[in-house]
Formats: sequence, structure tokens, C-alpha cells
Amino acid sequence: MAEGGGGGGAMNPLHHFEIHPIIEIPPIAGVDFSITQPVLWMMIATAVVFGTLTFVAATLKRSPKGLQNFIEMTINFLRKDLVHAVIGEEGKGWFPFIATLFLFIAACNLLGLIPGSFTATSNINVTSALAIMVFVFVQFAGIRKKGLLGYMTGLVPSGVPKPILIIMIPIEIVSLLVKPFSLAVRLFANMLAGHMVIYVFLGMIILFKSIILTPLPFIGVVIMYAFEIFVALIQAYIFAVLTASYLSDALQEGH
Amino acid sequence: MGLLGAAIGIGLAALGTGIGIGILVGKTVESMARQPEMSGELRTTMFIGVAFVEALALYALVISLLLIFVKG
Repeated sequence: MAEGGGGGGAMNPLHHFEIHPIIEIPPIAGVDFSITQPVLWMMIATAVVFGTLTFVAATLKRSPKGLQNFIEMTINFLRKDLVHAVIGEEGKGWFPFIATLFLFIAACNLLGLIPGSFTATSNINVTSALAIMVFVFVQFAGIRKKGLLGYMTGLVPSGVPKPILIIMIPIEIVSLLVKPFSLAVRLFANMLAGHMVIYVFLGMIILFKSIILTPLPFIGVVIMYAFEIFVALIQAYIFAVLTASYLSDALQEGH
Repeated sequence: MGLLGAAIGIGLAALGTGIGIGILVGKTVESMARQPEMSGELRTTMFIGVAFVEALALYALVISLLLIFVKG
């Protein structure tokens, strides 16, 4: 997004979200691989998730305590209440993908709450990449299971008269293409809006120019921070649940 | 004019979202009162519903941000 910094006046909360390269890498075959802030923080999120899970798996105990207990609870929740409840038995193969989506997005969102860091998922490019990946995988799963023609005829409900079918087909195709778009925009806008509210509240402390009034926006900041932690986890869960739901739609037989 | 459009847009979106989420949570509380043993499932479904409704408001927010911060 080309932000022009137009109507913000003295304070433009969007300038925190601009991307600058940290390590410049000259373009390889026309693609710019330089390490920018979202790239760095996505790598940190991956390292955190991977490191935690590997560390817990290295010393597994029969009666888990502490961190292992927490990780086991999370994995159990992802497996039972997310994949099995939504997709059912066929979903067993898709559990690693959906669990990885949830853990990666949750890590990215939560790491963005550390003051001075950059929320990788608050960039439309990152969330679009995730959404396009989900879209491609879902189509691939549906076409692999039912064949190309079977998948396309499975998009519209069976047993509708012909005239309605002519209207239904564009509607179904549009609704199919809107799903990844809505996934990307939902995650991106939630992260962007949440963090921008925090920045605006902090800006109000400077705007008021008085010591006495400072506690008011400060309380607002604390409340919004708590809400943002909640929203970070909920949005990761929503992304994973919607992915599982689209998968189950593509994999099911008939309508 | 862009600022005015942005303000009206996000205001209307907040109006619709408030009504939508209000109805949704109200129905969930009612169902939980009728059948307390289903509370967990109802709560999960409510969160998914709230995310859908909020996504619509956030589309309006993205358009408003485009109107405010992008010149021309």
C-alpha cells in the first residue's frame, strides 16, 4: 500500500507500519530478497515456534509438567476441537498444515505486541501469501479427491432446475474467489486496526500536553493491549478454523 | 471530501456491526441459558460468527484508511 501520509496531520499512525530494508540484498533474477522488518519478524516467529516445540519434544516425560503440559494441551485442542470437529476422519492428513498455520499466525501476532517490534501479519502481503497458499491447497485437495470435473460440478447444489443454475454458477465462482480475499483482509485489518488504536491512544498523551490528563489515555492503552492479546489468539484460531471449514467443504461428497 | 467519506463510511460500518454482533451474542446467551451443557460449543461458534461480522466492518475500515492516507 502506497501510504502518502496525507490526512494524518502532525501524527500519522500509519508511519509505524512502513517497511524499510534492514539488510539490503541486490535483486537476484529480478526479485528483491532484502531482509525487511516483516521478513525478520517472520523468521523470529518461526524460530520461536520451532524452538519451543523441539525443546519440549527433546525431553518428553510420561507425566507432563509445565511447558510440556501446555504444549500438549494446545496440540490436543488443535487436533480434537479444530481438525477432527470440523473435517472429521479425512482430516488426519491435514492436521500438520492447520496446526502450523495456527501456531505461526499466533506467534506472529503475539510477537508484534512487544514494544518496538513489527507485526508481520499487519502487512497485506504476508496475509495474502498465507491466504493464497490456503486457497491453492484447498483447490488441490478438492480436485485430487473428486477429479477436476467432479469438483466443479460439486460446487453448485445438486438437483436445481436449469434456469437457476445459470445464475448459481457465477455466484458460486465469485464466492469461491472471495474466500481467500476475506481471509487475508480479516487478519490484516484486525492486526493493523488493533495496533493503530494503541498508537493513537499513545499519541493522545502527547496531544493533551498536560500531566494531569495523562492517566486517561494510558488506561485506554492498557485496556487495548489486553484486548489485543485476546484478538491475536482469536484471529489465529479463526484463520485455522476457516481453513479447516473450506477444506471440509471441498472434501465432502455431494451437497 | 475524502475525510468526510472516510468518517461516514466507518460510522455506518460500526453501526451495522454493532447490531450484528449484538444480535449474535444475545442469541448465544439465550441458548446458553436454555442448555448450559452446550456452553463450550456455543461459545466457539459465537466467536467464529463474531469474526465474520467484524470482517465486514474491517473491509470498510480498510477503504476509509485508503481514503485518508493515500493521495489522489
